[in-house]
Amino acid sequence: MARIPHIAGLLLIAFFLAFPLVYTGANYDYVMHVLITGFFYAILASSWSMLAGYAGQFSFGHMAFMGIGAYGTALFCHYFYITEAPTGICTEFGFFGNWLVIKNAIGVTSTTLTQDCLQQAIDGWGDTVRVWRMPVLLGIILGTLAGGLAGLLVGLLVLRLRAAYLALFTLGFSEIIKAIISAEIDITRGQAGLVLPPLYGEGLNLFGLQFGQTDKIPPYYTMFALLLACLAILTWLSRSRFGLFVRALREDADAAAALGVNTTRYKVIVFTITTAMAAAAGAVQAHYVQIVTPNMLFLLQMSLVVAMAVIGGVENFVAAALGAIFLQIMLELLRTSFSIGGIEVDMTVWRLVFFGVLLMLVLRFARNGLLAPLIDRFARIGVAEETIAKRKARQEAQS
Amino acid sequence: MKTSTLRRHLMLSAAAFALGAGAANAQDCPIKIGGLAPLSAPGTVVGGEAMRDAMMIAEADINAAGGVLGCDIEVVIADTEGLPERAIAVMERLITQDGVVAVGGGYHSSVGVASKDVADARGIPVVFAETWNDTITGDKQKHIFRIAPLSSWTSNVNWQFALTLPGIEKVVILTENTDYGIPASQETAKGLESGGVASTIFSVDIGTQDYAGIVERIKAEDPDMIITLVTGEAAFNFTQQAADAGIGPMDLPFQTGQDALESGTYWTNVPDGQYAFVQRIGVPESQFTEKGRAFAAVYKEKTGKSDVESYAMEAYDSIAVLAQAINEAGTTDGSSIVTALENISHEGTLGRIYFDYGLKRDPSEDGKGDEWWHQWPDPAITIIQFQEEGQASSEAAIVYPEAYKTAEPIWVNQ
Amino acid sequence: MHPKRNGGPSVQTPEIFWGVILWMTVWGVLGSVLLRRRYFSRDLDTSNVNFAGAMAGAALGPIGVAVLWARTPKLSGRITTFLGLTAVVLIAAAFSFADPENNCVANGAFRASQFTNGLIIGIIYGFMALGLTLIFSILGVVSFAHGEFYMIGGMLVYYITVVWFPGVNPLLGVMGACCLAFCIGALFERAMLTPMYTGKIDRPVEYGILATFGLAFTLQYFVQALHGASPVKVQRYIDFPRWEFPAGAESPLIETRRGNLTLFDTVSISNPRFIAAVTCILVLLALLYLLHRTWTGKALRAVSQDREAAAIAGIDPNRMNMLAFALGGMIAALAGALLVQAFSWLPQVGAIPAMRSFVIVVLGGLGSLPGAFIGGILVGLVEAAGTGCIPDAQKAASYIPAYGMIVLTLTLLLRPTGLFGRRFASGAHGQGG
Repeated sequence: MARIPHIAGLLLIAFFLAFPLVYTGANYDYVMHVLITGFFYAILASSWSMLAGYAGQFSFGHMAFMGIGAYGTALFCHYFYITEAPTGICTEFGFFGNWLVIKNAIGVTSTTLTQDCLQQAIDGWGDTVRVWRMPVLLGIILGTLAGGLAGLLVGLLVLRLRAAYLALFTLGFSEIIKAIISAEIDITRGQAGLVLPPLYGEGLNLFGLQFGQTDKIPPYYTMFALLLACLAILTWLSRSRFGLFVRALREDADAAAALGVNTTRYKVIVFTITTAMAAAAGAVQAHYVQIVTPNMLFLLQMSLVVAMAVIGGVENFVAAALGAIFLQIMLELLRTSFSIGGIEVDMTVWRLVFFGVLLMLVLRFARNGLLAPLIDRFARIGVAEETIAKRKARQEAQS
Repeated sequence: MKTSTLRRHLMLSAAAFALGAGAANAQDCPIKIGGLAPLSAPGTVVGGEAMRDAMMIAEADINAAGGVLGCDIEVVIADTEGLPERAIAVMERLITQDGVVAVGGGYHSSVGVASKDVADARGIPVVFAETWNDTITGDKQKHIFRIAPLSSWTSNVNWQFALTLPGIEKVVILTENTDYGIPASQETAKGLESGGVASTIFSVDIGTQDYAGIVERIKAEDPDMIITLVTGEAAFNFTQQAADAGIGPMDLPFQTGQDALESGTYWTNVPDGQYAFVQRIGVPESQFTEKGRAFAAVYKEKTGKSDVESYAMEAYDSIAVLAQAINEAGTTDGSSIVTALENISHEGTLGRIYFDYGLKRDPSEDGKGDEWWHQWPDPAITIIQFQEEGQASSEAAIVYPEAYKTAEPIWVNQ
Repeated sequence: MHPKRNGGPSVQTPEIFWGVILWMTVWGVLGSVLLRRRYFSRDLDTSNVNFAGAMAGAALGPIGVAVLWARTPKLSGRITTFLGLTAVVLIAAAFSFADPENNCVANGAFRASQFTNGLIIGIIYGFMALGLTLIFSILGVVSFAHGEFYMIGGMLVYYITVVWFPGVNPLLGVMGACCLAFCIGALFERAMLTPMYTGKIDRPVEYGILATFGLAFTLQYFVQALHGASPVKVQRYIDFPRWEFPAGAESPLIETRRGNLTLFDTVSISNPRFIAAVTCILVLLALLYLLHRTWTGKALRAVSQDREAAAIAGIDPNRMNMLAFALGGMIAALAGALLVQAFSWLPQVGAIPAMRSFVIVVLGGLGSLPGAFIGGILVGLVEAAGTGCIPDAQKAASYIPAYGMIVLTLTLLLRPTGLFGRRFASGAHGQGG
């Protein structure tokens, strides 16, 4: 019986693995899109629940690190190119016989205004010179590292702060990042957003199957694999001695310190790992959506992640991940407006009202979330029966 | 030219052939057409709601006239929230979930730029109604059309009008930091410079509420004219706060944001907004086509507004032109609709809608830029002025250009 | 490369400014770290030394750090304040050398206008933040719904005076909005926050944040669902009479027109802001009276200082919790009700003022009432300086949301207790309550 959560977990993984292959609805692409976004939020919610629920560090800046990951890869892919010939007008370096070209930052433009230097060069060359983009994977790795590095720095700064101050500081950090991205239009193109190459630029050939650029299957499995990898890392963390220390930190930081746990170090490590996860999710999502804008850091997005984690169960990152997928699907389903008795109910807004009410109800009456208790319960049933069986066996042995 | 007419003939006959084929393959009724509009923040909801209402009227009108290919049409409104990433998801949903055969509407430029690729990749024709950024048609995609004016072109009207102000030396441009505002402000500044007029650009986040600091800075620049390239309530806030500080529309020539066309909301939010100039797309109400007048009457009745905003008319026409194209194509197949659109001549509320350039003829053949691809060349752009307090925008005086002028501009502070 | 876009003036010698900033930053960081080490190793109180060290380094460079190092245990508030002011003056001086043609440097009238604007709006921000800090001092909770109370305050005035009872006196509208906001606050506190006090929840601070967060979310979208998103605004509450002092002078010292007030012929203050600021000051005085002269107020303060002792003295802390939350919400709603005549109002307007309130309460010290008010004025001035002085016109306004956040970050790094906060230094207040 104690295995139920494990079996259920494996079944769920199998379900999500098989789903794209067996589902054949006419709205296939749309359903896939909802699920991919669901996985994206699941990574954010589970890593946030590790940070907030396990380690007790209430960060409201999780989306900022996601944004750093996304903008990390976006800027890299936007500004760096490899060409066969020097452009003569860009900043460029020799690169194994080719040229590494760094485009100049011109901000938002229009076909009637001056184009960037590489575009000018390409217009001059025609089709004679080959130009390559940077590999997407390298961008994603750089984005993740950038997010993790930022997480490390912020982690070092906030480790002294507790509860309310930490929440406010991270919120402030998030706002500053958003303001910088919106204001440095020359570099980031501001609200217009940066366009990114797709995850698999020339499509993908796997097992003899050809997937085009707009096919949903490759990004689906990519995002799902990333989610599983993050959950695996989180599970490993929580099971190890490290996880124990982290929990001890949350319960009583002073006592943990007294017992010889290097509280500072663990706090910073947790912060860095979870923010790197957020950054990785952001980078992959950015290549999937192919555009990044500062609105990703809109406070509503952070609210969604927090609400998803809380409704799933903030102290259990698996529950938080499931909560995120579940709520993402619900939010999409609830978009459909309907009318009762001639009154048109515009669900685009009302669904968020329901969402808020649900968040408050869960907080008030089901503090561990809706999914975490279920998982715990199954785990517990087993434990209880096992204990009873053991006791019985002992009694029998005694008698 | 000869080849072009020949090709046109071929296409017409192809369309006629398709008509027969379409009648043979019974359509799934109703035929669905998507309608993009920003209906929640951070999008400009005022504009989005107007467009939604107009597109619903278009649906009713077309169905009342017998529908399309023997079916009723259904306009599926989708909320873009003014966000590019949302726009992609919404376009995807419209196409794969709702099964639309074409898409109209569209307000924010960033939404148009982001979502056009999805539609084009899936072979679904789009007629954008109010997205100005030149890139949208400049990318020369097969399925992308636009009846909104080009940003570069509306900017031209802005600076050319500004240059008619006697003794003008310095202009301050307040722009939103989006892909509507930034290119438009640069194009306007460039144009002003060509006329020997200096300009300073201030850019703001659309969420800004308090403009006191910026207003003081603008005041210190001592401009002869202020041009506002900001949408939504941000323009209202700025205009009223400028008026409070003594550099409002009643103190110097002041062009306010486009959303002032919804004059009821404008006067609520900018009580001191008399003499403001506003850019308006489309001819004045007195010169409306018959269809335009009919639409205006229905629209005013339905919404209770005192006038019709140009983006509402564009939204209406984007649906109507698509309906006619589907009818002429005789099928809901994307390529056939594109062919029909390229050859269309549609009597819309804004005037006769047609597309000069596209697959049939590249803009470069006439020495025009790529942005003229699938672009309706005729939207009349005028500058109006609220010469009386509380005036409806459709009754306001048209002061520029000469062709549409109904009154001389009142230059305050001269 | 791309030509510079705007025709506005650019900084003439940015090297001077950035050089000075770099010098100040390096010595500030050094001073802060070194002195903290020293105090730490000597087992002294380190809560003030970060800030003092940073200011000493920034203001006087190595000399300042050395002086503080030499007189180690002696560190008074006066020295710190002096050093802090010196650092600010130094930055201003560097700026004026680097960019002598900037309006902030060359144009006195401009400076006066920006200063007045910052002051006026700062008073209103400070007043709003007062509500937040009041809630924190009693409940130990940072209310994330503060911006939404601000929003419903303005919305309610619009609905009362324009939609439900057209033509009603705006004063009634404002009072109605305050009453309703008070009731919503009281109801929410009873329904959602009571489990915090019983010790049933292991982490009450986080619970409080999440609960108010949920309220914010619900309120904002509830209003949007009911109202839609067209911006609204109410007319000026009061028109100034046409008045001059001294009468008939060429350039009068004070001159009022219907919509604004002009001081010394240079500084113009718009009517709605002036009315809002004056009302805020009046209500603030009333609030101080309530807190210091009435039994309820004294009970409130007693609870904020020592819960158990207050309970023993016969004060019901639960009732005080309710009162504080409702009062805090009402203050935010009043700020909104006063500003709806100045700004266009939408369901989303709460976000920016809420952020600003967070900045202010942290700057002033969480839980400190005078701190909130002075913090508000400081933040107002910083924002005015940022918007007014940054040479690049394109960026100055885009960064408005960030100025306050930079202040917040610096405060938390250098002096997490804020300017006036002492007691809640560890942030442990409210845990277990």
